[in-house]
Amino acid sequence: MTSPPSLDPFPPPIPVDTHPNRAPGSKSPEPERTLPDPDRLAPEDAYFAPSLSRVRSAPANYDHNLRSLDGDNAAHLSSAAALRKKLTGSGRRRKRKGAWKKLLWVKQSYPDNYTDTETFLDHLQRNPRVRPYDFWPLVADSTVIVQHVCSVVIFVCCFVGIVQDRVSPVSIVCWGSVGTAVGWILWDNWIWNEHAQAVQSAERTAEGDDGSSSSSMASAANPPANDTQPDDTKTNAIHGLGLTMSGNQSKEHLASPSTDLNESIDGVAYATAQTAVPSAPPSTIHNSTDGALSQDIPRVSMLSPRNRQRMTTVKSAFLIYFALLGLSPILKSLTKSTASDSIWAMSCWLLIMNIFSFDYGSGEGAGATTKFPASLSTNAAVMASTVLASRLPSTTHVFSLMLFSMEVFGLFPIFRRQLRQKSWTGHVVLTLTLVIVAGGAVGVTLSGGWAAAIIGSVLGSILTALVMGGCSWWLISLQKYKNVVIGPWDPARPIIRRHWN
Amino acid sequence: MPYNIAMVSDFFFPQSGGIESHIYQLSSKLIDRGHKVIVITHAYKGRTGVRYLTNGLKIYHVPFFVIYRETTFPTVFSFFPIFRNIVIREEIDIVHGHASLSSFCGEAILHARTMGLRTVFTDHSLFGFADAASILTNKLLKFTLSDVDHAICVSHTCKENTVLRASLDPLMVSVIPNAVVAENFCPLSHTTRLPDQTLSSSPDPPLSPRPIGPDDPITIVVISRLFYNKGTDLLIASIPRILASNPNTRFIIAGSGPKAIDLEQMLERNVLQDKVELLGSVRHEEVRDVMVRGDIYLHPSLTEAFGTVIVEAASCGLYVVCTRVGGIPEVLPQHMTTFAKPEEDDIVLATSKAISALRSNRVRTDRFHDQVKMMYSWRDVAERTERVYEGIIGDIRPEEFYGYYPGQGWEASGDRVRSFALIDRLKRYYGCGVWAGKLFCLCVVIDFLIYVFLEMWFPRANIDIARSWPKKPPAPKSRESNTSRGYR
Repeated sequence: MTSPPSLDPFPPPIPVDTHPNRAPGSKSPEPERTLPDPDRLAPEDAYFAPSLSRVRSAPANYDHNLRSLDGDNAAHLSSAAALRKKLTGSGRRRKRKGAWKKLLWVKQSYPDNYTDTETFLDHLQRNPRVRPYDFWPLVADSTVIVQHVCSVVIFVCCFVGIVQDRVSPVSIVCWGSVGTAVGWILWDNWIWNEHAQAVQSAERTAEGDDGSSSSSMASAANPPANDTQPDDTKTNAIHGLGLTMSGNQSKEHLASPSTDLNESIDGVAYATAQTAVPSAPPSTIHNSTDGALSQDIPRVSMLSPRNRQRMTTVKSAFLIYFALLGLSPILKSLTKSTASDSIWAMSCWLLIMNIFSFDYGSGEGAGATTKFPASLSTNAAVMASTVLASRLPSTTHVFSLMLFSMEVFGLFPIFRRQLRQKSWTGHVVLTLTLVIVAGGAVGVTLSGGWAAAIIGSVLGSILTALVMGGCSWWLISLQKYKNVVIGPWDPARPIIRRHWN
Repeated sequence: MPYNIAMVSDFFFPQSGGIESHIYQLSSKLIDRGHKVIVITHAYKGRTGVRYLTNGLKIYHVPFFVIYRETTFPTVFSFFPIFRNIVIREEIDIVHGHASLSSFCGEAILHARTMGLRTVFTDHSLFGFADAASILTNKLLKFTLSDVDHAICVSHTCKENTVLRASLDPLMVSVIPNAVVAENFCPLSHTTRLPDQTLSSSPDPPLSPRPIGPDDPITIVVISRLFYNKGTDLLIASIPRILASNPNTRFIIAGSGPKAIDLEQMLERNVLQDKVELLGSVRHEEVRDVMVRGDIYLHPSLTEAFGTVIVEAASCGLYVVCTRVGGIPEVLPQHMTTFAKPEEDDIVLATSKAISALRSNRVRTDRFHDQVKMMYSWRDVAERTERVYEGIIGDIRPEEFYGYYPGQGWEASGDRVRSFALIDRLKRYYGCGVWAGKLFCLCVVIDFLIYVFLEMWFPRANIDIARSWPKKPPAPKSRESNTSRGYR
């Protein structure tokens, strides 16, 4: 009936509906969930989180999600909904004519502006991927921000102390370095524990297939050869190379955490080099990374890989140390011709930029451990400390402040991230310490004396707790305004097994 | 009655692309149906002033400042004087704008409404709602479409999208698909029917529809710009797997773009140069010659409003493997296509299925051309567009045009027939948003004042009327067939 008679020489193509949702059985009736206000997420959605989100994101559930939109679209879409209601009455009439199909290639006996009440906007999904927040996890997650803000505050207070000659810069940098050293030792322990576990598990998996460990170098050298291989097949050899995914993966896994510190140090060194003169020859920096990478062949080297790794780190540390030492006189006079007011304003903006562009991610996603504080954030912080340092009177001051800023902005975030993954108690303790120290530091800076420090700590802690709770609650209450509209018009997200670099 | 129609868009020849050829084909078919059509676009490099194309299609290339990818700078008002001049000279009744990213089109619709003309808008693309660019575009589209008389979309998905983006009444949006010139996309075996093409395109004797044996080589053709949106990543990921699992298979890839490097790297890594042929970008005229070299057309796009290219491929007698995104599922019948989810695994699977279907001769690809010819033609598009024109001008009664549900209470909503009274127009614009509504109203009022000013200083009487291209008398047969074409 629907195909035109002119198609006679060919068997008329049967208009099978190719529309995804009209496939038989795809429209299962859903148990209607009664919500207080169906158009919006209510705050109590947070409590019904798992069940609700599952209902909403179920793919067979398009009809259920078909509600009028809020805001600007409300008027017309509610009219569309009304339209639908009105048109349902004419269903009998339509059946006689043959059902309308959401197809373009078949000539239909409906006008072009016909709007089918059943299928119109049936793919519309509202807030399909919304994960309602819970209060306490949200507060727990906000500790990351608190930590960073506190460390920035501490840095600023230290600078003020140095400028006002209340604190000796050397003592600050000594304490900072001691802290860094302790942090590094802890970090080193964690990494190598992890390493050992990974090696064990890798050996366990490698026992199954032959030749994987011997070809580890080759697999590291040309990973693309493996790209066509599905992840989970371990026994399939490819193109005669005899490589396996498991060997390659475990190697990557081992290599990634150990390059962390080096990369970050390089990043810091690079940032310094950017702010001023040609300092560290880039080749040495590359050497250090190469050293980190070349520890892929542990069994052949003379030093144990752990010590090699340490040597590299120490080398990098010394490199930065001496580069800074050499740079300090230049940095001291860098902005002599600039007024102090501009410096305060500039450093203020740079630190704000640092706080806002800082990578607060937990680092638990894909390829997580290699992700680092975004370079914009680190660069902003280093530049802020550079311009601040140029206000200081002597080379020692400048050197101390710069070193301290590297420790605070370059290395401390890595340590915090690792600590958060390793031990939650440690993370909470560190947060508390930072809040108290920052509050105290602000108190001392503002009025001086121990009393002020204690008052500052107490006030700071209370204020921080209030802000954390308040912001979390605010974010949860703002959730009801969330209105994400998703439909077939959105570009699909391609699912690709392995990424090509 | 024949109408005088002005097509307005930033995109027209000499630039080539889907929208450009849509405007051209639609215009020339409308001219064939007895209407007078002009095209207003901005000046391209080396092309200013008035031009005539085949069949007396008159092109106005208005000099204008181009900012990005042949889109003019949105100045809202500066286009008005020259636009008014053209419209009066050509005695235009209907202004038909194309493409939502074209600021020329948006401004023309605003000015045309101020001048009391009926307007139609055709949307060719899909937009999301998430990112900042889309939000801005959607606001501008809402401004454009608040007062438009009718909108045309190229697929039902596109209609849903446009209705949501511009908060339109769904009955004011028609779905009229794109079409292909089937004669330009015929398979090799068809060349015998068109003697003029035998010389140019096929030096070798046309292969009569031969069955593909289980061991015959199968060629997969991909013609697309190599962009992220076109799914080039999926293509890159799936090519080696398809080639590995299906021996005796080849690829021909035409097109260029930023992802071309990735594609070449993949070929080098997997040493597939002898199995994959890269042609670089091909002109639209050469697309057919590339397509007929293959058996399967693979279209891994991530978003697509209509996907003319898959219709062209089917018309060339290729079996189509495409992703189920956007408007693509509506375009071709199931016996011509294999659908895949936009996932690497599924594309590999679907392509392998298609290959085995071809090898076992379950698909009659030799019939595709004639079937596609029945499904899509520009003549049909022009007829359906003409009905839209009749509806908005009032030659079809609004109840028939919009409602078609007598006794359902549809005739009550009178806003569908857009009145030209300024106060009604302002009411429509005011609803666009808290701040945007007021801003839009301001724009409309200023536009009206400019119009009054222009009427006083450059009165209509002083503008010469352009002579029309001597046209063929409209064939009475086609008019009758149009009115009788209907809703059987």
